[in-house]
Amino acid sequence: MNTVNPTIERRDPATVMRLSRLGSLHQCRLSFMRQLTRRMAAEQWVFSRPVFDIDDNGVGHAVYSAQGPDRTYSLVAFAHDLPPEQRSDRVIAEAWDATFTLFDGVPTKDDIQRLSRNVPLQEAGRVSENELSLSRANRSVRLWAHVVDQLAAGQQPDLAQIYKVGYLMRTTAVYGSGKFGAADREKIADRPEVSGPFQAEMLSVYLTRIFVRDLVQHMANAKGGTQTAQLDPDIARWLGIGNSTGLGMAPFIVNHPILFNNWIMVREEAIARVRSLDAATDAQVAMFREIFERSKLSISWWRSEHPIQIEKLAALNADLGAIAAHLDQTDLTENQPWDRLILWSRTALSEEGQELLASLILEPYGELVDGLASCMADGNSAAFTIDGAMPVAQVRDLIRSSFGWALDLDWSAPEHCARAWYVSEEKLEPRLGERFEEPIEEYEQPLAPARDSALADKALADWLGESPIAEFLLRHPEHRHTVRRAQMSRLAPYGEISDNTISAEVLPIDMLRAKLSFFGATHFDPRSDRWVRICMYSGAPYPEELSPENADLWVYPERAQ
Amino acid sequence: MSFSLNEIEATAKRATRGAGYAWGISEEAAKATRWLCAQGLDGTVELSRVLEGEFAGSLEDHVPAGLDGDWVGRKDLCPLMVGALLSDCAHMLLAGPIRIRQVSSPMMILPFAAYAARMHNTVVSVTAGDFKALTDGARLMPRNDCPVRADHVEVAFSDLLIEPCSRQTRATPDPAAWTILNRFAHLTYAPATEESRLLGAGAGLSDND
Repeated sequence: MNTVNPTIERRDPATVMRLSRLGSLHQCRLSFMRQLTRRMAAEQWVFSRPVFDIDDNGVGHAVYSAQGPDRTYSLVAFAHDLPPEQRSDRVIAEAWDATFTLFDGVPTKDDIQRLSRNVPLQEAGRVSENELSLSRANRSVRLWAHVVDQLAAGQQPDLAQIYKVGYLMRTTAVYGSGKFGAADREKIADRPEVSGPFQAEMLSVYLTRIFVRDLVQHMANAKGGTQTAQLDPDIARWLGIGNSTGLGMAPFIVNHPILFNNWIMVREEAIARVRSLDAATDAQVAMFREIFERSKLSISWWRSEHPIQIEKLAALNADLGAIAAHLDQTDLTENQPWDRLILWSRTALSEEGQELLASLILEPYGELVDGLASCMADGNSAAFTIDGAMPVAQVRDLIRSSFGWALDLDWSAPEHCARAWYVSEEKLEPRLGERFEEPIEEYEQPLAPARDSALADKALADWLGESPIAEFLLRHPEHRHTVRRAQMSRLAPYGEISDNTISAEVLPIDMLRAKLSFFGATHFDPRSDRWVRICMYSGAPYPEELSPENADLWVYPERAQ
Repeated sequence: MSFSLNEIEATAKRATRGAGYAWGISEEAAKATRWLCAQGLDGTVELSRVLEGEFAGSLEDHVPAGLDGDWVGRKDLCPLMVGALLSDCAHMLLAGPIRIRQVSSPMMILPFAAYAARMHNTVVSVTAGDFKALTDGARLMPRNDCPVRADHVEVAFSDLLIEPCSRQTRATPDPAAWTILNRFAHLTYAPATEESRLLGAGAGLSDND
């Protein structure tokens, strides 16, 4: 009955690629964290802690090694004593509670010496081709103090507080791919265990979580001495790693259209495959219903103080009620049950609810979905090259199919181009400014493909349709990046955001969430319109409990027995 | 100092933009510089020389006047523009060699010849006087030194074979060239203001919690 030739088509990019929908995406089976934990369990990775040299003030370093079938990777962690006034999640910070690098192999003492002079400095230091990532984390001050105090007093921490915050430390940047001297992506791109997108970064965060658990116990021991309690593993499991992500990540999905397309297209293919199923077994339906219940529990712990997310959470909670009521009276075993469910959701639910449901229907179908993960990396560097022989008319057709909606917009009207993306001299980080209020226009980054497409289309209108685009580009190099993207869209139908990224109303947090949802993040908590906190690995098994049985569905909590 | 090729590419892209080129050309100049570094040639020296040539202010004088016959402009040709054009027009090599006259820093054309080779799954030769290089897209086999300017450059499909050679995974740019690229790159950064610090990066609620 199962089919890998879907009869239901993938959803239209014009629907999927709206910013409000991208800003409502949820994790799914294809998420990068779950890809990693599935693999580590299936391949029986071996974990060790060869070094834990940290004093009673919480200062020192530790090494955590993860050994897969072919290679070993090690997190080198440095713990610092950070005065509270220096604790900032902003990328402009210069000191952190802990700093990390993922080492390719097992570091020697000399490596650790070298890293100790550089990793704590983060952007101001240099790492080498032996390192795959560079990151840092700050404590969640309140939860950290609570856990240390409770354990030191011989008590367990309060689970309700842990559910609410979700993590003891949050990373504020995880740099990979050749940043600050680290190894280029090419070094690891052919290694099966880390060839998928962000697998090295996800591994570094997985190991960071173990370190943080050990560090909080160490600090409690230092404080409480012999009366200190050992953190209950059933409580420790709910400690994830937070992440605070700012604007710097938003341009990523515009700057990597093929890669982003592959993530979205693979998820859309998975959804289409499941929707195309004629029927579902009782076991599959039971699993779906169970996962839905468990996702409700996770969502009940999701808190945000941001008005936009408060509104979205209210809608999502209403959606959960609507889904529950609908499921009560719906037979999911026959008549293309998943397709019926998705069609129902289009009018019955908000975008949050629609995308949650689209992710959830994939859960019973690992054998139909998980193999698609191998298509999520971008191995097509040749797509960068422009086909100069393509006629002008064909380029205009491509532009129209991605950005037809944008061509007639008045791009000089302030509401359509109120914002401009630029890079600040201060921290060399992307920022979003007010075009008409700040002197930034001359520094604008090419992050408005819709506007640029409209400009290119206008310029192309003066050229003969049959002229090769190379002739146009020779006279108009300013449209070169746009023509390149238009040609890429042939391979990447989901590569372009179907919205205006410089409008007065644009919400960068939508772009951040789209990316972070593919990491597998949960509990998105915007702290402004351009900065979001998330939780990673909450509920995930630690190495000593990791097994194929619990390596996948940990993201859905089970109600405590 | 040793840099990742990603760092070379990022700096080259900003530098080219800072020197006044369009974003699309800057992207290509960045990949070209990276490609040269991967071949063990210091692409940053070539790019810094091109950017200091200040072609961008009067680009129409430094591009071929037309695609028929030899490619020739009113003044010395900018290798970034010629390189991009060569890559765009790789299909024209099927009809015979492309001859380019009065080219500045012809080494910068090599990565674009490599694109042409890759697209057509063949070997492409680039000749400028005594200098001759072969590329199959991934690798480069140069013979003799590449001149800093050439009166005649010929690009053609070739049936010669490339010997296997290893690619570099790091680059150690000439410090002077690296300084020049960073100086140009700096021109793309908006000076910080207190207002932009608060507005632009999106500070919101406290993070010390």
